Amino acid sequence: MIKPLTKYASDFFMDIKNSLMRSFGEDPGKMLLHTGTLGWILSSLAQVMAVVLNDKIPKKQKTFLIPQEIADAGINICSFYIFTNSFTKLANKMVSTGKWRTPAIDAFLKKYNLKKHIGSYDFNIKDLANFDEIKSSYKAIASGNAIAASTIGSIISCNLVTPILRNKFAAHKQQQAIARMEAAEQSAFVPQRGISLETFQRCAAINCSKNGMKI
Amino acid sequence: MRIYRRPISSTPIGRAAKRFSRTVGQSILNVMPSHIFTSKRAIDTFQKIGKYVTPAENRLILGMTAIFMQVGIDAMNHRVDDETRHISMARTAAKVIAGTLTGFAIRKALIKSVDAFSKLPTSLGKDGKPVKLTRLNTFFSPVTKALPDSDEYQNYKNGLGNVLALIVMLGTNFAIDLPLTRFLTNKFAKLGGGNDKTSD
Repeated sequence: MIKPLTKYASDFFMDIKNSLMRSFGEDPGKMLLHTGTLGWILSSLAQVMAVVLNDKIPKKQKTFLIPQEIADAGINICSFYIFTNSFTKLANKMVSTGKWRTPAIDAFLKKYNLKKHIGSYDFNIKDLANFDEIKSSYKAIASGNAIAASTIGSIISCNLVTPILRNKFAAHKQQQAIARMEAAEQSAFVPQRGISLETFQRCAAINCSKNGMKI
Repeated sequence: MRIYRRPISSTPIGRAAKRFSRTVGQSILNVMPSHIFTSKRAIDTFQKIGKYVTPAENRLILGMTAIFMQVGIDAMNHRVDDETRHISMARTAAKVIAGTLTGFAIRKALIKSVDAFSKLPTSLGKDGKPVKLTRLNTFFSPVTKALPDSDEYQNYKNGLGNVLALIVMLGTNFAIDLPLTRFLTNKFAKLGGGNDKTSD
């Protein structure tokens, strides 16, 4: 029995919604990271096109701006992911391992003699059997902490690391492009004078071998 | 015949990467200061950030800081000549303004829309009474065994709104961002005394 197409579409849409609920519901920092990375990929594509299609920017500036945009896109996406991911993960770990905690969480850890595990990489408060006792207190700082860390990570990556690196890369590319353009202009004005030394040597070799002359 | 593939984490490389990640993670955790948030104000601030900073606000914060930081970094870039630096600054400012305005507006609108079409049996209307559930106002509601936690459900709505915003921005990046960036670049270059070729 073949299911109607609408049923498949409906099931597919439901799967997407449930999957988003599972992955983004618990961790808003992860949601900001993944959607942010996708967003930068799409907007970078549009920005490169903006420079390519702008006729009012002179060719000399375009040699700087196009590589600047491409460098911007590559560096932006990589640095956004690396920095934001690191900041979000660290912030989540700080809360889940109990390094950053509320007085209620502190009392809870003391009650169950778990304070010695604070700051241990494999320790996770959320995995504890009695987590429900402090769930509201934990959530009070966890969500905001992840969002704040994600925002700080993205500010550092997009507004500090990327502009510095892309300018360095684009300036280097511009110097190369200008040097190439100047070399091409110069070669166009060099008159042809006789034959080159290489051509002369080749002709001389052929001539010598024809006459059977040995040196 | 079925082929059983080992998960990458159980391969020697996967295990080594996991060990490395754990060692680095533990070293960083060791140097980070331990802190108990005793102030109610600090906990309230975290709660407010978690509740009110959606991807739209995140984009706005990013854009507002970018205006000062990115344009400033371009202004201090002495690896290029004055004219190129001037256009580069104009373009960065234009790009940030266009991207922030459209990014914020579209995200905000889509998150609001998702909110309106993802009602739950517990959702209350403006009059404080439970909302009558229809096919339309539950269009984006997921099917879960138990009613989702309110904070987690808010995160889901923000995430779905952001994903939909990205799909919309596939079109608006070219339809709005591109011409707006181009227009603003030429305007800023002219304002800052750029050469005739770059101005309108």
